[in-house]
Amino acid sequence: MRGRLIVRTFGPLLAIALGSLVILLARGSPIAAYGALLQGALGSVQGFSETLTQTTLFIFAGLSVALAFRAGLFNIGAEGQLVVGALCAAVVGTHVHVAKPLEVPICFAAGALGGAFWGFIAGFLRARFGASEVITTIMLNYIAYLSVNYLVAGPLRGSPLAPETATIDTAAMLNPIIPGTRLTAAFPFAIVVAVAAWWWLKRTVSGFELRTVGRSERVARYAGMSVQAIIVKTMMLSGALAGIGGACEVMGLLHRFNAQLSPGYGFTSIAVALLAQSNPLGVIASAFFFAVLANGALSMQALALVPKDLVSIIEGLIILFASANWMGSQFALHRSRGSEPANEGDEPVAAGST
Amino acid sequence: MGLSIVLAVLAIAVIKATPLAYAALGGVVSENAGVVNIGLEGMMAAGAFTAVVASFYFHSVVLAVIAAALTGAMLGLLLAYLAVTQRADQIIVGMAINVLALGGAAFMLSVLFGQPGASPEVTSFSTLGGATATVMTYLQRYALVWLAIIVCIVVHVFLYRTPGGLHLRAVGESPHAALTAGINVAKYRYLATIVGGVLAALGGAYLSIGEVDLYSDGMVAGRGFIALAAVIFGRWTPLGAMGACLFFGFFSSLQIALQRANVPAQLLEMLPYVLTIVAIAGFIGRSRPPAADGVPFTP
Repeated sequence: MRGRLIVRTFGPLLAIALGSLVILLARGSPIAAYGALLQGALGSVQGFSETLTQTTLFIFAGLSVALAFRAGLFNIGAEGQLVVGALCAAVVGTHVHVAKPLEVPICFAAGALGGAFWGFIAGFLRARFGASEVITTIMLNYIAYLSVNYLVAGPLRGSPLAPETATIDTAAMLNPIIPGTRLTAAFPFAIVVAVAAWWWLKRTVSGFELRTVGRSERVARYAGMSVQAIIVKTMMLSGALAGIGGACEVMGLLHRFNAQLSPGYGFTSIAVALLAQSNPLGVIASAFFFAVLANGALSMQALALVPKDLVSIIEGLIILFASANWMGSQFALHRSRGSEPANEGDEPVAAGST
Repeated sequence: MGLSIVLAVLAIAVIKATPLAYAALGGVVSENAGVVNIGLEGMMAAGAFTAVVASFYFHSVVLAVIAAALTGAMLGLLLAYLAVTQRADQIIVGMAINVLALGGAAFMLSVLFGQPGASPEVTSFSTLGGATATVMTYLQRYALVWLAIIVCIVVHVFLYRTPGGLHLRAVGESPHAALTAGINVAKYRYLATIVGGVLAALGGAYLSIGEVDLYSDGMVAGRGFIALAAVIFGRWTPLGAMGACLFFGFFSSLQIALQRANVPAQLLEMLPYVLTIVAIAGFIGRSRPPAADGVPFTP
């Protein structure tokens, strides 16, 4: 536990310190740069509300990756699941016309289902054929990008100006909870979901089963759990969470689906989950941290003349520090496969169970 | 279609396949030694960027290629250190390398050239060999294409016809058995990963100073992941990976040829990814990685 604390505290600090060195090399002032970053992300109602809006998406996508981690699955596909979920929410939001109290949940459900379907593909291929979810989710990300690009450029195009869908119904839009900002009820919703996920993992039988599979598939099988079914369910749940994140983006911010919806949010969510050590409550804090970085980057670039890509470097360093157990922690490795060498590839999970 | 169009499509296929082939061969080498490299994309970007920087300052494509190779070696060393010595999760390290290299290149682009987005034009392979086209011109301008073919053959011969190659594959299949036979597992994993980084970076250098003459943000555009797909589709063998790259290159070339016909480009672009999923799920014969691929070795 002590090691975990060290990484959680010092990983980001070390990354920020190394970031200062990079700023100095670029002949900038770290204090001015980080000052401008914090000013942009937290220094005004406008900036702070945008940061919380960004936090919302990172919470959902981060939970997606974190829950999969807890089951020993590496979901690199949050990006694709998010994009597919967003498109589904936008399509339902433009085509289904009902009253607001109904339409909002229906759109969220559409986003969740779209993401869950995308996650299902990877989960099913892993459970049935033993195909590594790392590889399939990477490939599914690109298939998702290309599919939605095709759809919004052709059959689903709703705007003459850009490859995007038509604007969704007003009934499907989330209203700002603070007038003049873009912060919607999606933010408190995300917090509730994170707490629920934490409780579910810790206190329910199915949550326990998920964690057991993450610790050791062999033990889970021996205890009579259906490892295959748990893997498929986890990937669907993981995809659904990412899909809801995408739906928030459509319903709260863009009000339509745009092909450029995600500049790689699904990849940042891996960093979010790693920093949170896959703890759903930790994801809230971790999502906020990355949202500050993401949202402050532009003002850092404008005010301190330090390129905004510095935050990618910091993000990369945090992931790098999270990769190793060199800081005395069995970090992030709720993944079982590292400790079970014979498991990779040669023994599909399907073999002999059920 | 006339013969000339067919030839043009094939020529473009080879050109499109070249950067993929370098990265894929790099992936084959490191994965056969048991180190998964998800960071191919970032290594390509780093190689592409440093090649442009070196060419900008030294006006020499040779130095540019060397600079790219060194950068790739450094990133390979980083991956090897974390994966082999620290027994870190290789997937996470690879992700970190991608984020770091892509972010780092974008950052340095702004810092060095004072403009985000794209570098100025630099000395590239297309300027070699004089104005009149002779055989020598083609040899020089497409030097990196020919080199890719040579690298493929060398990797194949090394892996399957030399003791060193046998040792490397042993380390990737069964490190404990290799250790018992007196093979230095860590040494082979380090070397294979560094070579993998060098090759991926060369693929990047081809993109920036072989195919065009500048670096622009997002120019690698997922090719590192297509290369990863080629490794799997080619069943972790150099010839298989090369074949897969040519196949993928052929489809992106066909896409250019079919632009005017009403075939959605995205469907053709999707092909490598779909085929990889099909291959790894075992629908067309099982595609099996080396047994210890991605597994840290604890003696």
